[in-house]
Amino acid sequence: MTTDELDPLIHVPTRLKIVATLAALPDGDTLSFTRLQDMIGLTPGNLIIHLRKLEDADYISSEKTRNGTVSITTVALTSHGRAALGTYTQALRDLLGGL
Amino acid sequence: MNHTPETAATGNGGNFDPKQAAALLDETTQQARRQLAPSPPWLLATRAVAVLAALGAIWLSVRGQHPYRGPTAADIPVLVAFIVLNFAATVGVRERALAGVRGKSRLSPAELTVLVLAVAIVPVVMAVLAAAGVSFAWYPTTVMVIPGLAWAAVSAARRNWPSCGTGLAVAAVGVVGAFASPAGSWLVAGVGLCAALLGNAAAIAWRQHRDLAGA
Repeated sequence: MTTDELDPLIHVPTRLKIVATLAALPDGDTLSFTRLQDMIGLTPGNLIIHLRKLEDADYISSEKTRNGTVSITTVALTSHGRAALGTYTQALRDLLGGL
Repeated sequence: MNHTPETAATGNGGNFDPKQAAALLDETTQQARRQLAPSPPWLLATRAVAVLAALGAIWLSVRGQHPYRGPTAADIPVLVAFIVLNFAATVGVRERALAGVRGKSRLSPAELTVLVLAVAIVPVVMAVLAAAGVSFAWYPTTVMVIPGLAWAAVSAARRNWPSCGTGLAVAAVGVVGAFASPAGSWLVAGVGLCAALLGNAAAIAWRQHRDLAGA
């Protein structure tokens, strides 16, 4: 197995941190954009770019809700994203075990 | 969906080493679980030591009473301070951990109602038991039975088995305390709650370790 076989969408430090952080939540739970930003330590613009890529691949879902005048964006790992992280983790283990 | 690998030049880590990836995955997972845990093992262990100290102190002050008169005026502030600090620390850590989180991690209004009712009904049940002449009506351990069972039921509905076990253990301590002397029930309450909380802390820590190893 080579590194080329690792999911390129997840095999990027920032997106790996995003996916691993969201995977720490129970299935179906959502995390606000601001809390995720706080936990990952990214600028809003940078985080949006990575979230968009993950959302395009259906690895995460996002929802925007309005609470009075405040707009709140929440994100969650989809079952597809959770499975992709599992596959990625197994591939990583196989790769490192083979080194 | 574009799966084209990104290059290091884009700042996205095209040359991301698998060993670095594994280390980052472990580190991020541990950090996220620590930050998002509503009942972290360290809090449960701290509460275990605090409950043993608070109830143990009361037991030391009442064990020499013949006949038993109950906690002294000096014991009451200790007990009240313990309850207030315990509640504040638990709620504070929980709210901080779950800031920005929505879903199953949070207790639903129905679950909160069950827990509040379980605590509110305790003085009523104790008064009824006292009126019926039951010897253990005012034992500190008697306080634990209904809230312990309610917590176990809520946790079982969530399939949170370590937490369910803690609720059942707390209720069991309450039942065991009924067979102790009035003074001895304080010791049973302190040691029993301490053991239940330490057991829960150990179960959560073990589960986190297992999940991480299997991740």
